Amino acid sequence: MGKCLIELQHVTRRYGGYESEIIALDDVSLKIFAGEFVAITGPSGSGKSTLLHCMGLLDKPTEGKIIIEGRDTSKITGKDMALLRGKKIGFVFQSYNLIPRLTVMENVILPGLIIGKKREYLERRARKLLKEVGILHRMNHRGAHLSGGEQQRVAIARALINEPIIILADEPTGALDSKSSREIMDLLLEMNRSKGVTVVFVSHDPMVARYGRRRLEMKDGAIVKDRKIK
Amino acid sequence: MSVSRMLAWNEIKEHKVVYSAIIIVIALTMASFLLENAYINYMIQVVDNTVKNVTADAVITDRDCDVRDLYGTETTIHDAGKIARLVEEKLPGYRTSIRVTAQATYGVGIKNVAADACTLQGIDIHNDVCVEKIKKSLVAGRFFSDEDPILRGHTPLYIRIEGPGYLPDIVYGSGQRLLRKDPPYPVIVGAAAAKIHPSIIGVGKELDLYVSTSARGTNYACVRVKIIGLYESGTPTVDAMVWFIPDDSLREIKCYGEVEGRSWIVPGIGSFQGFNPIKVNKSMGDAILVKAPPPLLSLNPIGYSEKVRESIKRVVPDHKVFTWHDLVVYGTGSMQDVITYLLWGSMGVTLVLCGFAIKYVMDSIIIRKMREIGSLKAFGARDRMIFEIFMYQGIFIGLVSGFVGIALAILVMKIVDWIGIKMNFIAGTQLKIGFVVNWFTVAIALVLPVALSLISASIPAKRAAMLPPVEALRKGEINL
Repeated sequence: MGKCLIELQHVTRRYGGYESEIIALDDVSLKIFAGEFVAITGPSGSGKSTLLHCMGLLDKPTEGKIIIEGRDTSKITGKDMALLRGKKIGFVFQSYNLIPRLTVMENVILPGLIIGKKREYLERRARKLLKEVGILHRMNHRGAHLSGGEQQRVAIARALINEPIIILADEPTGALDSKSSREIMDLLLEMNRSKGVTVVFVSHDPMVARYGRRRLEMKDGAIVKDRKIK
Repeated sequence: MSVSRMLAWNEIKEHKVVYSAIIIVIALTMASFLLENAYINYMIQVVDNTVKNVTADAVITDRDCDVRDLYGTETTIHDAGKIARLVEEKLPGYRTSIRVTAQATYGVGIKNVAADACTLQGIDIHNDVCVEKIKKSLVAGRFFSDEDPILRGHTPLYIRIEGPGYLPDIVYGSGQRLLRKDPPYPVIVGAAAAKIHPSIIGVGKELDLYVSTSARGTNYACVRVKIIGLYESGTPTVDAMVWFIPDDSLREIKCYGEVEGRSWIVPGIGSFQGFNPIKVNKSMGDAILVKAPPPLLSLNPIGYSEKVRESIKRVVPDHKVFTWHDLVVYGTGSMQDVITYLLWGSMGVTLVLCGFAIKYVMDSIIIRKMREIGSLKAFGARDRMIFEIFMYQGIFIGLVSGFVGIALAILVMKIVDWIGIKMNFIAGTQLKIGFVVNWFTVAIALVLPVALSLISASIPAKRAAMLPPVEALRKGEINL
């Protein structure tokens, strides 16, 4: 087992006021280790996305701690939090979230530019990544002109640009047909196997969830099953 | 290019239609503000230049003098020379001249059945603060010279008739008609007067003037003058009225000095006084013109004129001090000020509306861009970077609006100047439409749209920057 990358200690996330309070995460403790390929499943409203957002420092837990590579994130400033997010975590979204006016190349290097990396280096790396995800030939096209599957490939390359310790994918195949879904999941798995990139993804699709080597099942804000598949 | 600038530029390109509309509205507002301001400045300059030919920066008069007396009926200041020297001593950089002034009438038409009036301004032909201005404004003839018959050595003839009871005492006379050998006094007349009365006014022509020799115009002397030059200051109204004559000539006409000899009393009619030798007193005058040193910055000329007044008033507390602005206000009312206020007001209203438009547009952009904002935050963008993306758009709108507005205004000014548009002025004269650009207003035309855009953009920009990333992503998904 690799080293622990992300650790959640008794994380609770509540929304709303006193009378209309919703408990999205209820005292969740979890460790994600390097090299894992983790699927989070569960019915709608079970807290899958909230868990992913908390792990990705996009959301703050109401209670509990999130530790990333041994660093307690509850004690760092917003500025450092943004930097940590940019450097350590890659995101893949259900709706791809490419910036439509930017080219594929510009979209891929954007996270690197944000954290202050050199453009030349980023473009070299982006070419390599785009080749790996099979979309290099479209690097000068605008994001808006690509198909859903192609956009998600670009999003995966973008997630990898800053060499993150982990990729968090929220319903990465949610907007794709089954063929494209398989291709994207194969690609993520390939990245995990060949590069050792740790991947945590959320899906309510059983076919997609089967890709997970470790499967977390959630219900009512809690992890009810945590299985490792050999 | 930084990431925030790159993304801001992309936003601008994406919303080019709506941004262009805002830019055009602000630019047109700025252009109209600059044009109107430059035109008002031009008109003020036309009036000021003319008024200052008569008054310089300020005028010291007797305490009984009213602003309307400044065109020729001031009461006499017997120690004007002493006051002028005092002002120059106490206020370094200030220059003074003693002015002698009078109202005059002259006949018009073949039988002299109609009369017109003018204001005689007696000027020191070597030292008056306005000499250079008058020389520059000459359009025909020449300026005075020492060879001109400035003094004759005797007073013109006056006959004082004491009015019975309710009638005023009047003086009339025709001294030079009796002594044809006397050479006429030289005068310089406004070109507008020559256009109004071309048969009697022109270089080289002679005519009789009935000159008011007392402050309130109850005593008159008849003198013959010869027109040696025509000037054109730019304001025909004043050109038609203000004539220049050497100050010593006017002192002689008004008996400013020691008059020797005697007068004759004719029972039942009055007294004769004339042809008596006179020793002109150069210290006597009706007003003291003051030219102040130019201000370091001429952003507020009216404010500076008030400072000049206060400085002079401290030196001569027992006299009245009028500034050029008093005369402008007297001549045109506060019309200019009202137009200026209206101009600023209308510009302010338009800009506030534009500010709301910018805020509204950016608000709607932010709502549509929630997902992108969330993604950028997920990629490590700090709040400040998101704030900058929208602020750069604000700066762009402001700068482009300002520059386009200034460019438009300059273009219109050049076209109007090139075509040479003229408008009808008084007495059938025409005044060319011109512009005087005040660099302060140009700076305002650039700074104001930028400030407005920044303020308007800052509210939505801050809102976008402060959005928690997860909220932005969720709202973005909802908006899809």
